[in-house]
Amino acid sequence: MSTLSIIALVVAVWGQRLLGAFVVGPVLGRRPVVAQAMGLLPAAVVMAVIIQLTVAEGKSLVVDERLAGMAVAGILVWRRAPFLAVVLAAAAVTALLRVC
Amino acid sequence: MAETESPAPKAPRLGSADVLAMALTFFALGVTLQVLLIDRGTSVGRALLASSVIFSATSQFAYLAVRDAGGGEWAAISAGAVVATRFGIMSMTLSPRLPHVRWRRVAAALNAFDPNVAVAIQQETPKDVEREFWRTTAAMMTGWFLGILVGTFIGNVVGDIDRLGLDAVFPAALLAIIGNLIRSGDGRIAAVAGGLICIVLLPVAPAGIPIILSVLGVAVAIILRRPEAAR
Repeated sequence: MSTLSIIALVVAVWGQRLLGAFVVGPVLGRRPVVAQAMGLLPAAVVMAVIIQLTVAEGKSLVVDERLAGMAVAGILVWRRAPFLAVVLAAAAVTALLRVC
Repeated sequence: MAETESPAPKAPRLGSADVLAMALTFFALGVTLQVLLIDRGTSVGRALLASSVIFSATSQFAYLAVRDAGGGEWAAISAGAVVATRFGIMSMTLSPRLPHVRWRRVAAALNAFDPNVAVAIQQETPKDVEREFWRTTAAMMTGWFLGILVGTFIGNVVGDIDRLGLDAVFPAALLAIIGNLIRSGDGRIAAVAGGLICIVLLPVAPAGIPIILSVLGVAVAIILRRPEAAR
């Protein structure tokens, strides 16, 4: 990461936390649709990051061992397995398939 | 109060096993991020600095993913900023539940993450909210800073990080984080729509755009669910 990116991300991340607590939060109570949208935002953007980290290789879509690891993670998440178990299982499955 | 082995946000207070699991989880995430940063050519000093001050591993991963895809500096930074909206929402949820002391609210807002807010907002009084928030934060941060230290020093030794499956650690962690959201109907639609937007745009749009435009998944969820709510 470049120095520029570190500074810019600190501003963006810290700024959004403060905005959320002191600006957006206090005015949101009156707008239920906005509140609903804010509540759903993490699902949409975090899923996009997951996709990018799982099936992208540069700008092309690829199916490889990561996807199998994530499938296992998905099942474990659905069954409410502990966080650490999800993470370790995904890494283990991905690594094992690469050895095979 | 029974202690469980998981850092389940369901538990009203964290037992010592939960605290340990939380610390270990963030330790693992810290190691992974640091090894990845160094593998992608970030100097040791800057990798340590970045992971100590940015306070959003998701943003760092998003930044790296966009750079990997050939995106420019600002496209990568924008993607990192967009995914941090999650933390703005976390602090928004937490803040009104804390004692009315401005600087303490600022400090807590800057440390708002998924697990500590989830635990804190289940408490009854503002004092309890604040205490459980900082206890959980302490466990997370201890694990995180030990993790990035260890990751920095093994980063040069590990070599091929893919062999250890480390590249699957963070997406799996993110999936666990949005697990509860995906169980709700709206959340599931938003996630599927956001994911589809990303998949469709990945090969064709400039790097960074797929993540940024995935916010439209929220609109899809709201539009699709509205008639149902009106009925």
